Formats: sequence, structure tokens, C-alpha cells
Amino acid sequence: MKKLLDLRFVIGLFFFIVGVLLTIYFILNLKQKTNASINIKCGVSFVVFGVIMIFLSYIQEIKEE
Amino acid sequence: MKLTLIDYLIIAVYFLFVITIGYVLKRKIKTGNDFLMSNRNIPLWITSLAFISANLGAQEVLGMAANGVKYGLYTVHFYWLGASLAMIFLGVYMMPFYYGSKARSVPEYLALRYDEKTRGFNAVTFAVMTVFSSGISLYALAMLLKIILGWDFNMSIFIAAGIVLIYTFLGGLTSAVYNEVLQFFLIVLGIAPIVIIGMEKAGGWHGILQHVEASKMHVWKGMASASTNPMGVDAFSLVFGLGFVLAFGYWCTDFLVVQRAMISRSLNEAQRTPIIATIPKILMPAIVIMPGIILLALQSQFKGFNLPTNASGQTDYNMALPVLLSNLYPNGILGVGITALIASFMSGMAGNVTAFNTVFTFDIYQSYIKKKASEKHYLYVGKATTIAGIIISIATAYIARSFNSIMDLLQLVFSFVNAPLFATFFLGMFWKKTTANGAFYGLVSGTLAAALAHGLTTAEGKGGWIYNLHTFYSGTGQAFTIAWIAFVACFIITIIVSLLTKPKSEESLIGLVYSLTPKQKDNSKKWYKNPLILGIIILSITIALNIIFF
Repeated sequence: MKKLLDLRFVIGLFFFIVGVLLTIYFILNLKQKTNASINIKCGVSFVVFGVIMIFLSYIQEIKEE
Repeated sequence: MKLTLIDYLIIAVYFLFVITIGYVLKRKIKTGNDFLMSNRNIPLWITSLAFISANLGAQEVLGMAANGVKYGLYTVHFYWLGASLAMIFLGVYMMPFYYGSKARSVPEYLALRYDEKTRGFNAVTFAVMTVFSSGISLYALAMLLKIILGWDFNMSIFIAAGIVLIYTFLGGLTSAVYNEVLQFFLIVLGIAPIVIIGMEKAGGWHGILQHVEASKMHVWKGMASASTNPMGVDAFSLVFGLGFVLAFGYWCTDFLVVQRAMISRSLNEAQRTPIIATIPKILMPAIVIMPGIILLALQSQFKGFNLPTNASGQTDYNMALPVLLSNLYPNGILGVGITALIASFMSGMAGNVTAFNTVFTFDIYQSYIKKKASEKHYLYVGKATTIAGIIISIATAYIARSFNSIMDLLQLVFSFVNAPLFATFFLGMFWKKTTANGAFYGLVSGTLAAALAHGLTTAEGKGGWIYNLHTFYSGTGQAFTIAWIAFVACFIITIIVSLLTKPKSEESLIGLVYSLTPKQKDNSKKWYKNPLILGIIILSITIALNIIFF
């Protein structure tokens, strides 16, 4: 619960979840003609951004300790 | 545009997060000060992003894309001229007085510098403006969702208002600020792909230059006369009206944005908040204006990018971004784009509601209704005001639905109130002989002068309700001119009345007036901690951008 007070962690977690959703949606629709690469590009970018934010929040925690 | 399960899932995740933020922060709220002022304990990076996010509402995201179509690259003046200098000025020169005086709000500073009547005038006009603005954000959101997604108007209003109520009621200003930062990232990352895909489809920057008329691809060219540029504004009105009066009036005195800097952990961070916020602000045109320009390029190359007309048969420029979303975004990322739009509306609404509850609790309730009560009592008042603010916003949204012109009216009222207010602050902070009566009558005169200027001029069929003495090329030109007239009227009347009345003693003005306040020595040798050095660097970058896109 305490981690949720760290905005970096919250933002990271949000984009990580949205990124994973976009990636899964792309994979599930691989065979469809309408499948668009923008979903996988954005999905992976969001996951990376999310992981960086979560990493930053842990760095901050270690610094504070 | 049709949403599928994945889009709804992304919207649901966002709603879940904003409510959870409010719920988690609820445990930290114990006093009225925690609820309304975040106990002045928010880190610099959060206050800086919240500072621009509070302004990154619906008008910004939809309106600037619309202006991009209408005025092209000239729209960047709202950022490079109409924001950066004023934000740096706020940080370097004005924040020491706001923060140093320990005032909890902008009206409270007016009470310390002048008197209660000036504070009351500003508190009441500001409170009315914020709830109206919040209601109009709500109305615009519901209308947008109805038009592009076919959602029910009433359902959209109550869901959006309900979510904003939950997270602002639970976590107060801290919750609003935290959500604003999340919304900032969502808006940037949700809309940026449209710029990338759109640019690619339009043939890159070269393709845009080829397909958009050259007259819309400059920033300063043709500004010598109002008739030779798409904005319909001459250089004087642009620089003095927008760059000085409106920009400084908004960024330096509007409590909605100033509040985000006032909750910083120290004076140095409060000063750096608006200055650091200037960095994303000057880059924001790439996200909010470029879609409009890209649309212009796509319109000349492909079918399906034309803008619809509104009820009065005119081109509805506000649909620029939704048209791009529906044409360029597939399901999945479409959910992110729609969530970004919803976030921008909710961000604008929450910002207004939190500013409203602070001003009402401290500047109206505590000043005029119950002066001495416990912290717990003011916490309850703050929470009750939050509920009242949301209910009034919902009512305003329905009023806006019935009276289409209410949005224009509100924009006008903003320029009536903010433009003269900057003259009052400017004189108050930099001229020790400014008196309370001078400030009050100056403010009233400035507001009346603005109303008179509007009544005697017309633009795009608006104004001239007394007599039409002059017709402007554009509504923007009229707004800039009214702003500087209001400022000059307030400035002159304040000086005249001040010279005829007795000023406050110099002792009582220490910490409130520049010349009477001991200058703070910044012992920090690090350049990035010095507000003035930071300001000069960012200003130089802004000037360079103006030259590059001249």
C-alpha cells in the first residue's frame, strides 16, 4: 500500500498494464487483416516506460533508506 | 468510431487508477490544510508537471488542435509568447511574495497587500469562474462522447463528475495533483502516436510543407498588419495583448495554476516549479498543435479527413483531433487516445474544483462566515465545498447545453477578470504607494472598460451590443485588444486613486512589496537550482524556436 503513495510507481504500473494489454491484443489478432503494428509499437513502448518508472521509484526508496 | 472490449478495458483501468489514488491518499488527510493545501509537501517534479497539467484541460487539447487547423503554426504564440515569459516571471519575481507571505491563496495575498474588499472581489469572481469553467469542461466532455461514440449525454456527465468527485473528495488537492501528473503522461503518450502516424502518412515534415498553404507555416511573418496573417491580429495586439496582459494575467495571478507552485516543499522549489514547467510547455505544440497542421496536410491528399459542420452550419474545428483519432487509430490504441481525451477533461475539472474549494474555504468561509474554528471543521467545510462544487458544475453543464453562447461568455469573463487583475498585482508588488482603494477601484474600472470595449466592437458576429465602432478581423484579435484596454484602464485608475489616498505603512508591506523585501541570497552554486539562470536558459531556447520558425 505504501508503494502506491509513490507517484512514479503508480504511473509506471499504469503504463505497464496498458502496454501489456495492447501487446496481448496485438498477439491475439495476429491473423486478422486489420491488425495494426501501432498497437505493438505503443504496447512495447508503454511497457518499457512503465518499467523505467517503477525502477526509478525503487531507486528513490533505496536512496531514502 | 466504434470502441471494442480492449478500448473499454483501457478506459476502465484508467478509472480504477484515479479512484485508487484518491483512496490511498485519503489516509494522509487529517486537517483542512492537508486537504486544501497538501500541507506544502509535494516534490518539485510533481508540482512542475501539475502546474502545466492544470492548464492541459479540454480547451487546450481540443482547442489547440482546432487552432492548428485555423491558424496553422501561428498558434504556437499561445505557448512561446503567451506562456513562457510569464511563467519564468512568476517563478523569478512573483513567487517569493506568494510563498514568502505564507498566503494560502491568491485572494489571501490580496488581503495582506491591500484589504478585505479587494480579496472579497477576487475570491467571489474567481469562485464563480472556476465552477463555471469546470461545468463547461463537463459539458464539452459529454458532448464529445455523444458525438464521437454515441454515448448518452446524461450518463457521461454523471460518470465523469462522479469519478472526479470520488478522487478529489477522498484525497483533496494531493489527489487532484497526483492525477494531473498521471493525466499529463497519458495525454502526451496517448496523443503522440497520432502525430507520428499522421506525419508519416502526410509525407513527413517535407510533405506537410508541400501540402499546407505557406501562409500558415510561419510564426511571425505577416504580423505587421491584422489583414496579412491567418490569426487576424497585428503585432502590437499580439505582443502587448497576448504576450504581456493575457499571459501574465493568467499565469501569474490565476490561482488554479499558481496553487500548484504554492504547495511546494520550499521557496526555491516553488520558484522553480513554473520555470521547469516551461520546458514541457514550449514543447507542447508538438503534441497539441501539430495534429491540426497534420490534418490540413492530410485533407489535401486523402478523403475522409474533412471536418464536420456544427449546428449553425460552420466548420467545427474542435473536431480536428477526433477526426484524426477515428481515421488513424485502430482499436487498442484508440482506447488510449479516448482515455487521454477523457483525462484532459477530468484534469481541467478537478483543477477547477480544488481551486474552488480552497478559495471558498479560506477566502470566503473562514474570512466572512466562521473566522475561528478547528482544523477538523475546515476539513469538513473543504469536503462539503468539493461536493457543492461538483453539483454546481453539473448544473452549469446543463445550463451550457441550453445556452450555446455561454462558452463564449465565459471566455470573455476570463479576459475581463484576469487582465485587470494582473495590473493590480503588478502595481501592488512593485510600487509601494499602491493603496487598497486604488487597487479596488482599478480592478472594477478595468473590468468595466473590458465590458465597454466588447460592447463597442464586433468580431465574427460577436460583441457590439452597445454600438459597433470597430470590426476586428478575428475574435482572437478582439480578445487581445480588450485585454490590453482592461489592463491599461486598471493600471491608470489604480495609480490615480492611489495618489489621492493614503498608502499602508512600509513596515506592514515587508514581504509583500519588492522594494521593501530583503533580497534572498541564493547560496547554491548549482546552476539548475538557481531560478534566474534556469529562466534565462529556457527563455533563450524559446527565442531560438521563434527565430527558427519565423
